[in-house]
Amino acid sequence: MTVIINPEGVADPKASPAGTRATLRRNFWRGVWRVLRRKPSRMAGVAIIAVFVLMGIVGPLLYPANLPRDDNALYAPPSLAHPLGTDFEGTDVLALIVTGARYVLLTGFATAVITVTVGTAIGLFAGFRRGRWDTLLMRITDVNLAIPGLPLLLVLSTVWKFTGPLQMGLVLGLLGWGGIARAVRSQTLSLRERGFIEAARGLGLPTTHIIGRELLPGMAPYIAMNMLIAVTGAVYAQVGLFFLGVLPFESNNWGVMLNLAVFNGGALTTPAALPYLLAPLMAILLLTLGIVLIVDAMDEIFNPRLREE
Amino acid sequence: MITGTGVTKTYRQRGSILGARQVPALRGVDFAVPRGGAVSFIGESGCGKTTLGRIIAGLETYDDGDIVIDGTSMSGLGHRARQPFFRRVQLIHQDPYSALNPTRTIHQTLSAPLALRARQTGRSRSWTDERAEELLSLVGIDPGYVLPRYPHQLSGGMRQRVVIARALTMDPDVLVADEAVSMIDVSLRLGILSLLKDLRVRLGVGVLFITHDIATARYIGDDSELYVIYRGQVVERGPTETIIAEPVHPYTQSLLSAIPVLHGLERPGEEQVVPTEALDEGRADEGCLFARRCPFVTERCEHEMPVLGRGGGEVQRHACFHPQPRSVIPVGAGQ
Amino acid sequence: MTSTTHAPGVRIRDLTVVYRTPAGELPAVRGVDLELVPGTITGVVGESGSGKSTLALSLLNAVQPPGRIAAGAVEIDGLGDVLTLGGEDLRRTRGRQVGYVFQAAQNSLNPLKTIGKQLLDLGRSHDVADPRALVRDAKVLLARMGLDGGRVLDSYQHELSGGMRQRVGIMLALVLNAKVVVLDEPTTALDMITQATILRIIREVHEERELTTLVITHDVGAIAEVADGLAVMYGGRIVEHGPVRKVLATPRHPYTQGLIRAIPRLSGDISLARALPGRPPTLGTLPAQGCVFRERCERRLAVCDTDDPVVITRNGRSVACHAVERAAAVAMRKEYA
Repeated sequence: MTVIINPEGVADPKASPAGTRATLRRNFWRGVWRVLRRKPSRMAGVAIIAVFVLMGIVGPLLYPANLPRDDNALYAPPSLAHPLGTDFEGTDVLALIVTGARYVLLTGFATAVITVTVGTAIGLFAGFRRGRWDTLLMRITDVNLAIPGLPLLLVLSTVWKFTGPLQMGLVLGLLGWGGIARAVRSQTLSLRERGFIEAARGLGLPTTHIIGRELLPGMAPYIAMNMLIAVTGAVYAQVGLFFLGVLPFESNNWGVMLNLAVFNGGALTTPAALPYLLAPLMAILLLTLGIVLIVDAMDEIFNPRLREE
Repeated sequence: MITGTGVTKTYRQRGSILGARQVPALRGVDFAVPRGGAVSFIGESGCGKTTLGRIIAGLETYDDGDIVIDGTSMSGLGHRARQPFFRRVQLIHQDPYSALNPTRTIHQTLSAPLALRARQTGRSRSWTDERAEELLSLVGIDPGYVLPRYPHQLSGGMRQRVVIARALTMDPDVLVADEAVSMIDVSLRLGILSLLKDLRVRLGVGVLFITHDIATARYIGDDSELYVIYRGQVVERGPTETIIAEPVHPYTQSLLSAIPVLHGLERPGEEQVVPTEALDEGRADEGCLFARRCPFVTERCEHEMPVLGRGGGEVQRHACFHPQPRSVIPVGAGQ
Repeated sequence: MTSTTHAPGVRIRDLTVVYRTPAGELPAVRGVDLELVPGTITGVVGESGSGKSTLALSLLNAVQPPGRIAAGAVEIDGLGDVLTLGGEDLRRTRGRQVGYVFQAAQNSLNPLKTIGKQLLDLGRSHDVADPRALVRDAKVLLARMGLDGGRVLDSYQHELSGGMRQRVGIMLALVLNAKVVVLDEPTTALDMITQATILRIIREVHEERELTTLVITHDVGAIAEVADGLAVMYGGRIVEHGPVRKVLATPRHPYTQGLIRAIPRLSGDISLARALPGRPPTLGTLPAQGCVFRERCERRLAVCDTDDPVVITRNGRSVACHAVERAAAVAMRKEYA
């Protein structure tokens, strides 16, 4: 560990509230690190995610804006020059994967943030207030759950060209918060009966405090898990849409690659385009694997008892 | 000072096709918790003692009767207007494990209500940290050790002391302790009980002690008053020591007879009373509520409902047609 | 039910159970010797962290990971060492020979099945040939405990009160004619009157069916009502063991003395009652060497810090305490001087 800690490892209670909060935050991150190191699989997950995030950030900078083509090496098999082979116009598949990561990850991240924010807010509010608000919000949630996502996206894509990953994420996010809202609501309903919530109400603490400081932290592992799983869901959804070819091929994208490999390259019938098909599939698989490996740690990260032990 | 007159609460139980069933939880209970005084409610689970405690703490509403806090009648006030009054009554939960938020340190747990209190009383923010340490010292734990810790790092006894400290942040007039020691290790129970007794003296805070273990009621002060509640009705009340030594209601006698005897150290009382059948809540309410289980039941008990005798101050009152003192509690083996 | 078998004896020898923690393997039960005399009720009393529940589970060889029985033997007459059993043999033993009534019986019943169905499941898993006889036995047992057998067997868990569930738990433990019964906190969370009823039932059923019974609880009063022998556990050790009345009347170990003084009682001078100072140990705070109770002890000696006191047995009473031993040695020297 590179973090320098105070020798006792315990917060000084005499310290100012701000100081205490800083200590708490430091202890939290040290705890996170400890939890992740507990199992090698978690570290592997962290490594995978780190590689993808790196790809998303610096990937496009490594290559020229227009990737070079090599007309002499169409659908070339993997080689030293092209570790994952080339595509139909002789472009390096690895370069496509790396430069395509940003779009996929941005969409996934945007979707997850929107899903979790909207879902948690609605679930918390409905579960805590109960009564009329609960009924109203849950009916809206039911409607959201009942919307068939794929057909709607198909229809939407005819009228609205999803020009950027963030717009894409916005649409996917607004379609997908229903499940989280329901789950968070039922968690809230059971948590609000706990002694400490009742005590907070008895003390006259404001509702914002009760929801934000007392209820929310208890649900953090749950929300974090849902957020990570939402990322994988969003990746599948958008890759699927591109694969079906309902969205315009504006930039490099794993879904576009799949589409071209199957429908242009005939990857399902001839082996030549197989690397071109498998590369994006493996990328998606790896990304999902990385997320799944980390999800396992969420419970321990957000539960102080499991974190400290 | 908190008084209640004729406090009534009925729960509606759905389920049968014939519609809602009315389940009376409290049948017109009168009580008074004097400033700095101590009152104990005892009875079996489901007798209404917890409901009454929650009503007094403002966590539940009552259907009929009135509760008066410092001369102000709650019945005349709306929900919002009642809140400042009920905040003077703080509930201490039975389970110190669920009463503290596991994701927050004790410092965070105490500073939230203290910040609110600082705003209410026009004090500065820095006062909250001082006050947190002061309160923890008051309840007998070392602030330096406890403040940075999470609840799971503390023992049950310590947690309960933190819960009491948190209740004290609001400078309450009354603490409602609902089975506050039943989940604490036996060797530490007396510590919590004497803390409550101590707080009465030092802060002048009243204690409303709710328990099914009558013996613990003796330890919150020898001036305490005991209410024996059966199916939502007070069947006997009076000074704690008097009721324990000379109970006159057969239900009180059954409760006292049921307390285990430490054979070898004490021997059982000579006239122990055992109810003739087990408690059955869904029973018709005609006559004395205890009649069906009472070994001394007579014709009159089946048809007429006895009411708690009226009287003032330090007297023992009962709701029984055939009151008869019996020696039911264990006596020291040496005597 | 004509059972010719007599109550078996149970001997626990030098039992050590450890739990794996980040700080290494820590003992929850350490070097415990305990004999359950055939046909008696032994009460084990202890607070949180005393290891009493772990001890009870060891009797069934049912300690769950991260716990592990590290050493010792649990010999039951007619069965041999339970700790050497495994797989099918062990499963058969549970229920058939050793009945276990779980802590808070309300949680050990399946909420989705009627009691009768759970009874039949139990019979099937133990290859009971005649389910009708099983149901008949169950009804007899329930009637013995003052319940309407037919009605109870048709009920779901939530339709029964706490006291009724506890009785159902006892029925399920005894219906296969187990002769050794372990009751873990049989009266916790019950009302006083119900508790008195359950304790009376435990005593009566124990005598009628000639059982060897072990009652585990934190409540000294409950033990005083039913048990013949009392073993006091603290920090994974049995610190005192003897006939219940004698131990209560003249406790010898400082912990037993403090515990009895700390019980809220109906009679007697309340000003003499005192809480024990300090707090019960947890796995992590138990001292690695020396007496486990010394931190809270008023008779602490220098030797307590270094040496674990051994259990000394005299006249049927056992105590593990340096201070008690020293006083006894002095008294004996005076006697012979």
